[in-house]
Amino acid sequence: MKAASVRLLAVAILTVILFGCAGKTGIGWPRPEGRLPDPYLIAEIPFYPQKVHQCGPAALAMALNWSGVAASPQEVAEQVFTPARKGSLQSAMVAAVRRNDRIAFLLAEPADLIDEIAAGHPVIVLQNLGLSWVPVWHYAVVVGWNATAGEVILHSGTTSFKPTAFATFERTWARSSFWGLMVLPPSRLPAAAQEADYLAAVSPLEGMGRWQTAMRAYRSALERWPDSLPATVGIGVCLYGLGALESAEVHFRDAIEHFPGEGVLFNNLAQVLLDQGRRDEALDAVRQAIECGGPLKAHFEQTLKEIRNH
Amino acid sequence: MRKVRKALKPVSLLMAIFMLVLCTPCQTVLARMIPTETVLDAARVDAARTQVSTFLARQDVVDVLVSQGIDPAEATARIAGLSDAEVVRLADRIEQLPAGGDTFATIVIASIVIFVILLITDIMGFTDIFPFVKKKRI
Repeated sequence: MKAASVRLLAVAILTVILFGCAGKTGIGWPRPEGRLPDPYLIAEIPFYPQKVHQCGPAALAMALNWSGVAASPQEVAEQVFTPARKGSLQSAMVAAVRRNDRIAFLLAEPADLIDEIAAGHPVIVLQNLGLSWVPVWHYAVVVGWNATAGEVILHSGTTSFKPTAFATFERTWARSSFWGLMVLPPSRLPAAAQEADYLAAVSPLEGMGRWQTAMRAYRSALERWPDSLPATVGIGVCLYGLGALESAEVHFRDAIEHFPGEGVLFNNLAQVLLDQGRRDEALDAVRQAIECGGPLKAHFEQTLKEIRNH
Repeated sequence: MRKVRKALKPVSLLMAIFMLVLCTPCQTVLARMIPTETVLDAARVDAARTQVSTFLARQDVVDVLVSQGIDPAEATARIAGLSDAEVVRLADRIEQLPAGGDTFATIVIASIVIFVILLITDIMGFTDIFPFVKKKRI
């Protein structure tokens, strides 16, 4: 058994190494004769020159302003800049987007950059402008390209519309594992997004109690994915959070007709009914949830217990 | 060096707390209402279990399992014992693999997955293949 497993281990390690070296970015850079004008630039994205070490606040301020939030780099710096680190942590950037009532959406793949820029969405990228062992991390905003010259166009540092060769950009961007952040208003969906990824980007806003923004984003999601149960749940939860109990009840009842057998809808309806003082109806609803079963059954049973004790 | 380390201890503790505050989303309490995040998580786990069982049902994967002396039914049983988080991680790993094509790629793919499966089950204490894995103490 031991010899076989050593062999297996060796094969596995070897193949991991091989696959590691073979990595391709898969980015399909646009051609000059494509359907977009060339050079192509995203409209209405302001430029803020950065202060020393403050590329993060500058980049984020640009994207926020494009998305309709009037925030200066100084204001953003308070939310993202860590003086001891002389920089802005990626997690802080994402959190700051949410604190400003916007959806923070990370690119799923480097190739998505092209689709998003083509759709007019600026993308904040993290580059390593130095060496792998002496990194110089830098946030910049991709605002367009010049396909004829083979260059990406960035708002970077103190330079607006800074051109960078495709290959150079790929190399510096690769070192952050192609980290790309979009700052989206709730009315605009990413061009290239899976349903689950977009909803996962919205649900933290719901968790933070940003009901209006989250609800608007869930409605946008339903336009593209009309059969999305999580988006439907989300709207109901936000209505409840806003205190609109009657609207929430109507919403959940409609949803139950559209999605029969989904216990979560019965469970959440039960909560709305309970808040309206309709305890017996709430008990009925949660019992129906339990009958539906599913992976959330334990939650429904907990709800039943709590309603009984109410 | 020790003096520097000692001086930095409160700083690093502060940084850790700071980062925790930054990274932990503030959950608004909604009592018994099930939030969207929970629905999404349940859906992801469901999808992950389906992905993993589909993968294990592939003929090329079964062939490799058998060639390594592993009973495919046994592998399925061990996967069933994984926690939700572990299954999702395994499904993510399967997703990242290049799509099956030529024979060499398929063998390579299956080897990686088996390695991952055996590694997880070793950590769980169901198998004892890799000497470098510290056994989980129940």
